[in-house]
Amino acid sequence: MATQDKRSDTSDFPEIVNTDNLQSNMKPIYYSRTFLSIIGGVIAGIWGFTGFTGFVFYFVVMLAASFGLAAKAKFSADSYFDSWNRVLLDGILGGLMSFVLFWTFAYDIVHIF
Amino acid sequence: MGLGFVVGIIGGFLIAHAAFSTIQYRGELKIMEEQFTGPPFNVVIELLVGLGLCLWAGLAVPTKFLSILPHSDENRVVSLPANLDFMVFNHRGKVLPSNPDLKLKI
Repeated sequence: MATQDKRSDTSDFPEIVNTDNLQSNMKPIYYSRTFLSIIGGVIAGIWGFTGFTGFVFYFVVMLAASFGLAAKAKFSADSYFDSWNRVLLDGILGGLMSFVLFWTFAYDIVHIF
Repeated sequence: MGLGFVVGIIGGFLIAHAAFSTIQYRGELKIMEEQFTGPPFNVVIELLVGLGLCLWAGLAVPTKFLSILPHSDENRVVSLPANLDFMVFNHRGKVLPSNPDLKLKI
């Protein structure tokens, strides 16, 4: 009877997960977000964004990246991650710094020198 | 993976070309002494296409996600090594009637 009860709640988060894969799934997310932050920064610099507009552009790019990552995970984060936050929110603040660096870099090259 | 790289490189090249065009455009504006309000329309299109291509490449090139569920097909325990330690020949099956013409069901 006890084993039957346990089997009836398989809809919950499984207690045993393949933690190697869980860890290694963080890497593509990190690489994708860093690369896209850099590209977004360069484009913002070339386009000539200053101030607030640039940050808005960054969050638009990150939104597109989140959507792309969710699509890559086939919209079922449960089979690849332990929570949706990992797919949608992880790495956004870290990418912000790379974005600002390449934004100022590109802006200087194109518009000032 | 190769296609993703090529797409990413094309996107990067488009962005670099847009940068050169904008620098040229600014030079022309300086000569005509006008203000810079934004890059010309074709440069904007180039930037957006470059952004799209790099978005696609940035998501497709890193390795695909691996399933974390213990019961999925890709996470099956690797099969036992095929050496003699795991092959048992002296078992009770030899007293059972057997049909040597049976095909193996894979």
